[in-house]
Amino acid sequence: MRSPIFRPALLLLCPLLLAAQSLKDFEKRVTEFTLANGLHFIVFERHEAPVVSFHSYVNAGSVDDPSGETGIAHMFEHMAFKGTQTIGTKNYPLERKAMDEVEHIYDQYDAERNKGLKADPKKLADLQQQLKAAMEKADSYVIPNAYPELIEENGGVGMNAGTAEDATNYFYNFPRNRLELWFLLESQRFYDPVFREFYKERDVVREERRMRVESSPQGQLFEALLATAFEAHPYRNMPGGWASDIENFRLTEAIAFYKKYYVPANITIGIAGDVDPKECRRLADKYFSILPSGPLPSGPRTIEPPQKGEKRVEVESPAQPFMAIAYKRPNQNDKDDPVFDVLGEILAGERTGLLYTDLVRDKKIALAAAADPDSPGGKYPGLFLFFLVPNRGHTLEENEKACNDIIERVRTQKVTGDTLQRIKTKVRAGLIRRLDSNSGMADALTFYHVNYGDWRKLFTIIDDIDKVTPDDVVRVAKQYLVRETRTVVYTVQPPATANSTGKAEGAGQ
Amino acid sequence: MKIVIVSLLLCAALASAQTEVRHAIVLPSYKDLKYPPLPPLKVPEPVEATLSNGMKILLLEDHELPLVSGAALIRTGNLFDPPDKRGLAGLTGEVLRSGGTKTKTGDQLDQDLENVAASIESQIVETSGTLTFSCLKDNTDQVLGLFRDLLTTAEFRQDKVDLAKTQTRSAISRRNDDPDSIADREFSDIVYGRNTPYGWRVEYSDIDNIQRQDLINFYHRYYFPANITLEVYGDFSATELRAKLEQIFGSWKYTQPPVPSFPKVIEKVSPGVYLASKDDTTQTFFNVGELGGELRDKDYPALEVAAEILGGGFSSRLFRNVRTAHGWAYSISASWNANYDHPGTFVISGSTQSAHTVDTLKAVGEELEKIRAAEVTDEELQTAKDTVLNGFVFNFDRPSKTINRLLTYQYYGYPKDFIFQYQKAIAAVTKADVLRVAQKYFLPKNLTYVAVGNPKEFGAPLASLGIKVEPIDLTIPEPKPEAAQATAPTPATLAKGKELLQRVQQALGGADKLAAVKDLQYHAEVEAFTPGVSIKVKQTNSWIAPSTIRQDNELPVFKQSEYYDGKSGWLASVQGMRGLSPPLIKQIRGEAFRQLPGLMMSDRDADRTVNYAGDGLLDISSKDDESVRLIVDEKTGVPLKLAFQQGEGGTAVENVFSDWRDVDGIRLPFHWDVMQGDKKAAGVTVQNYKINSGLTPEVLGQKPATAPPGSPAVKP
Repeated sequence: MRSPIFRPALLLLCPLLLAAQSLKDFEKRVTEFTLANGLHFIVFERHEAPVVSFHSYVNAGSVDDPSGETGIAHMFEHMAFKGTQTIGTKNYPLERKAMDEVEHIYDQYDAERNKGLKADPKKLADLQQQLKAAMEKADSYVIPNAYPELIEENGGVGMNAGTAEDATNYFYNFPRNRLELWFLLESQRFYDPVFREFYKERDVVREERRMRVESSPQGQLFEALLATAFEAHPYRNMPGGWASDIENFRLTEAIAFYKKYYVPANITIGIAGDVDPKECRRLADKYFSILPSGPLPSGPRTIEPPQKGEKRVEVESPAQPFMAIAYKRPNQNDKDDPVFDVLGEILAGERTGLLYTDLVRDKKIALAAAADPDSPGGKYPGLFLFFLVPNRGHTLEENEKACNDIIERVRTQKVTGDTLQRIKTKVRAGLIRRLDSNSGMADALTFYHVNYGDWRKLFTIIDDIDKVTPDDVVRVAKQYLVRETRTVVYTVQPPATANSTGKAEGAGQ
Repeated sequence: MKIVIVSLLLCAALASAQTEVRHAIVLPSYKDLKYPPLPPLKVPEPVEATLSNGMKILLLEDHELPLVSGAALIRTGNLFDPPDKRGLAGLTGEVLRSGGTKTKTGDQLDQDLENVAASIESQIVETSGTLTFSCLKDNTDQVLGLFRDLLTTAEFRQDKVDLAKTQTRSAISRRNDDPDSIADREFSDIVYGRNTPYGWRVEYSDIDNIQRQDLINFYHRYYFPANITLEVYGDFSATELRAKLEQIFGSWKYTQPPVPSFPKVIEKVSPGVYLASKDDTTQTFFNVGELGGELRDKDYPALEVAAEILGGGFSSRLFRNVRTAHGWAYSISASWNANYDHPGTFVISGSTQSAHTVDTLKAVGEELEKIRAAEVTDEELQTAKDTVLNGFVFNFDRPSKTINRLLTYQYYGYPKDFIFQYQKAIAAVTKADVLRVAQKYFLPKNLTYVAVGNPKEFGAPLASLGIKVEPIDLTIPEPKPEAAQATAPTPATLAKGKELLQRVQQALGGADKLAAVKDLQYHAEVEAFTPGVSIKVKQTNSWIAPSTIRQDNELPVFKQSEYYDGKSGWLASVQGMRGLSPPLIKQIRGEAFRQLPGLMMSDRDADRTVNYAGDGLLDISSKDDESVRLIVDEKTGVPLKLAFQQGEGGTAVENVFSDWRDVDGIRLPFHWDVMQGDKKAAGVTVQNYKINSGLTPEVLGQKPATAPPGSPAVKP
């Protein structure tokens, strides 16, 4: 369903290796400009159909959540759909007063609560009642979901947003005659967001965590993996945040996050489709110049200390067992970044990756065996991740051993020139295939600009991949796929559910 | 006075600065924008033709990028699965690709295709089969050649059939891990009927029944030229490609009788509340709904609009109520899922905090009543229609969408301009229409509610919805064991049985030596595989012929022993000393029965039957209702496996022997794997055997010291 979501960068922002179409031809279709306030635009012309895709890339994500407020970046992302002073309200001045009153009472509530053992329970209960009433009053001025509804009824499709560790993305597609509407809506949501229904939405975000993490065996495993592999760096937190942090969000905290990180210089906008770049420039000036410039924020200062030994963690779950194995790796700007991508393909590419051919196809011990070379993000040193799902009748031990054997192989034996060639061909073809999607292009152009300094990296990364040699692969595998920096997390069934999978509960429920 | 006022104003100003990001300024309003009309839709027209062998083709040129893609659509589907071989179509679809062709294995195809960054994929779903390809323009000839080979001469090699079956079994074993998919599956199965091709599901026994020849037969029945339409789009010349396709496929002159129609959906209502308990979830995942209709129904457009207003997105009633206003759910939606050729489902689905399960389901009921009770507002109607109409252009933003649509319409017998009829019909929907269809089709008394969650955390019990709650049993049925299929003995089979058993005795050292075994003791290391983790147990097994037995097990944190002398016995564990319950007695008796020296001499025991049940199969049973099946290597006479039933549930177990060695003139196995179906439950490795060491019941029967009463039990 179309709702704001947060998405671990696992799948979406893995920098695909691309090449081929002549860069020179392509450059003719790309126009870039930066407003005085620092907001950067990349416009890609594609006139196949009268439609346009938009993608706003904010270079701040869950990795920037303050301590005790994990998930606040994601919370703001939800707020960015709540409208403005003119969109989403029946009476803004009254609404604002009511919202302030909510905060005022909440401050009193927190002050009483902070008295700890000396807090007066009667006073707390009383303040809670007041808070509830004040929230209802504020909510009474709201026209619910006015902002996204505007987008939908104007033919907006594919509307969504995602908060990952490194970045927050907002995107949708409009028919081309709604170009100006997009400029108006997007600029106003970032200029003048009103954090209405904040505490209701906090409950929704809490449900999202229940859905994605607490009720999902994969979610549970991934959360344990991150928290174990990373002891200090904020990559240790899932983008949605920890339950107790979510339950205690304050509106003022979300505002503070927005003010610090949503400065124009920290935002890059991609527009791809049936557009005239000059018209885009004019509209950008008209609508986005109003955003006040601000200093670029710094990223988290905490550096993950070197891992000094293997870590192993169990997660109890009635699900059929599966496991994740992660090794530490440098960030995306390391000179060996292309080698990691190639290594990922060697190990887990389609039907010829070694994990597939060995564990799934030949030994038949795995239902699935996959790898991700840069999880959960690329901006900071991260993980090279393996994911193993045993076949029925086979064990995690067998699969882990087979996976380790494969890793040992790539650490000691050079892959053939043919294998590398296949990967390079695939990467080149991948770029061509990407070019027929407006939304894919808007996404890619902004991503490469922010993470590598130039959208052209979308093409030049092919050259980097081409330069990777079999010796490079062995070298990088030897250096990084080592036991001391490995984290292994797997699920274990609690004793009661050994063979059967859940009996019927009694009637009367 | 003035000072006070000023400071009051200051306070007010400070207070109001809290929730506001910007002071009020006048921004342009979206209401003032004007939108020029979109250019008229340019819908490309694919070239349609039929090859000389009856295969239809659709071709569409697209020269934006040097790519060529295509798909063959085959009239088949898993609706044609035989009832005892469910999953056959799915396996056929999969192994068509993985099993390779006459000249290339699937693995070779994987390499060849990935070398040129191309792909060919195959699957069969409910009402169709597809074989798709995608390649760079330069590789079209090569890839089309491989595509043709797979379509016309798929080989279905045995190793890939086995792999696909193994993977399907694994998928079955994992089908209850995700509450969301449980809810979807159970809802669909109940609404369509669990015993119909639309609602049944694949079980282990189906997979066991399916053999390679079944796949080949299925493939031959449905994959023939007159039953296939091939679409291709991309960077080519249609005239040239048409000639090429005739050249490639024209000689494939294979015919079959026309394919029968798909079975019809049995229209019925199955109202009720169904609950599947799952305690590792903090939300309840639910699907509420009933059977729906087809895309060509006259009421479909109005139903689309009604479902959109009810639960189609941010602007919908369910979203606003359950998510925005109450915060009970992140995910909630309603949709009228119509199919092309058979009734779909009307379903309201989502997931809600466990404690608010009943609140949410009641809210769902309330919203249904509301939309049936009064017309929707003008605004709601307009928003729903605009969402479809203003986004209509996106149905045409890629040539592939046009050709896929045309192929689908042809396949299901829909008019070419169906999407434009739909557009007109949506524009004409009125508030009265929405009310009429809501009253006719959203029927509260027909609703099926499926909830998957933890009833202990529901807050209010599910029964407070006022409808009887039926539990859903999620247990995955195990396949029937071979050992259960006994053959009735005849004089001939009894004679053959005796003869085979005597050959086994020969192979194991001779009847006399075996008969001379009065007691046997072995020490073994047992590795027990509870799922995910293995436990090592030190075991001592002591047997005095014919039926006295003692087993001592030593685990890392506790010990357990059991003893039985043919009449009575005891069990000593961390819970203390107990007598043997009847099920335990049966279990221990079985262990005694299965001790090899005694078992091998069953032909000399008048209370036992030794029956020949087929090639290398000996069914040995006793008057006390003990029975095993001994699987023997007919050539050597050495036992391969021992199959029997264990426990109250009658779990099928097989001990698979290996490492036979000589011990004082007789041969005994030093290792066996304990198998439960495909699953290895344990591995037993014997360190040493002692024969005739003078064991006595007095010594074996000595109870070990147990923990004094009141001391804490050690958790195993």
